[in-house]
Amino acid sequence: MKYRTLLLLVLAGALLASSCQSKSKHYDLKGEVLDKNPATNEITVKHDDIPGFMPAMTMAYAVKDQNGFNQVQPGDVISAEVITANKGNDYWLEDLRITDESGRKTAKPAVPAHHLDIGEHVPDLPLTNQDGKTLHFSDFKGKALLVTFIYTRCPVPNFCPRLSGQFAKIHDDLAKTPEDYAKTHLLTISFDPKYDTAPVLRKYGLAYLDNDPSGFAYWDFAYTNPADLRKLADAFGLEYYEEENQISHSMDIVMIAPDGTVAKYWATEWTTDELENALRQQAKLGTTPPGRRKQRKTG
Amino acid sequence: MSAKIRCLVILAALSAIPLISTGCSPGADEQRGQDLFDLHCALCHEMPTPDLKKQPPKLEGLFKKATLPSGAPATDQQVRKTIIEGIGTMPAFDQRLTSKDLDDLVKYLHIMK
Repeated sequence: MKYRTLLLLVLAGALLASSCQSKSKHYDLKGEVLDKNPATNEITVKHDDIPGFMPAMTMAYAVKDQNGFNQVQPGDVISAEVITANKGNDYWLEDLRITDESGRKTAKPAVPAHHLDIGEHVPDLPLTNQDGKTLHFSDFKGKALLVTFIYTRCPVPNFCPRLSGQFAKIHDDLAKTPEDYAKTHLLTISFDPKYDTAPVLRKYGLAYLDNDPSGFAYWDFAYTNPADLRKLADAFGLEYYEEENQISHSMDIVMIAPDGTVAKYWATEWTTDELENALRQQAKLGTTPPGRRKQRKTG
Repeated sequence: MSAKIRCLVILAALSAIPLISTGCSPGADEQRGQDLFDLHCALCHEMPTPDLKKQPPKLEGLFKKATLPSGAPATDQQVRKTIIEGIGTMPAFDQRLTSKDLDDLVKYLHIMK
């Protein structure tokens, strides 16, 4: 009986493993490498359409083919296989091949931009919200603030729609506990200030607030001018490129403590519960313990 | 069956192939519409994505009902408007698709199975 149970467990495990493996999907990618990050083993590729996975855009991919990663340089034209798993939430490149290296650029020395460390104050840049009202980060002092960046026309479900869906869930949960609701705030900032004007952001926000405008008191949707957007992106270590009415960008979430300092960063890996719990705890904790270096990945 | 009759049967069968093919396969516009659908729409409408506020509806048989999932009339004009302007949490495809793209997408949505 014991052995039979063990055998059944082994068989069930094998079946589960094979069913998980069968959920990975493979797509062909062709494009030009714009950047290479040895710290994360990622390359940023301006790629053609990948039917069934991604329209043409520029985005960062982890490379699991180490030999290919070592050889590829910015400016190279490549082909590779995109492997996706976990319903498209995880993706990486394999079988990376350089098809044209005539445009290879000489490696530029890495100039580390100054991203804000944990405990540093966020620059008090002006934003305009969904009602056309000017906001500053200092307006949220006294509250734990969760910030992310999206653009309303983003067509990739695992990017902006997922971020906004997660923020909507957090908002709805917080609304059920008035004490935490009063001490927290959500802020969604657009990468696309040319298109995402106040009325566009209001319409977008209402879709995520179940058409209840009272939710805007706890969740702002804002844009800023392109120069300040770039400053904010540099401060938070965001990457974004605009081309042909589409914006390729990293996925980042920043939590700002009630004293206006950076408390935590998330990039590519998080769960809705993790964000919500961290925000609730930060609201109770107040300030950010100084001296902690931020841990970040690019996505 | 004599050789002459057999030959006629074969010729008749061969001549019918293009007709059968035309009747069953999508035209060039519909095929292009399908390619556009696979590129821009299938990501949301065909594959469930975790954490979305609302899972987008499947679009097979979109025009077989009187109304769209939004409740608006199921007309070509309304579908084009939805694609361009977005609706609810569906993003707008404004400035991203040409008029010909929209024509072909709508043609494909009419025959999508």
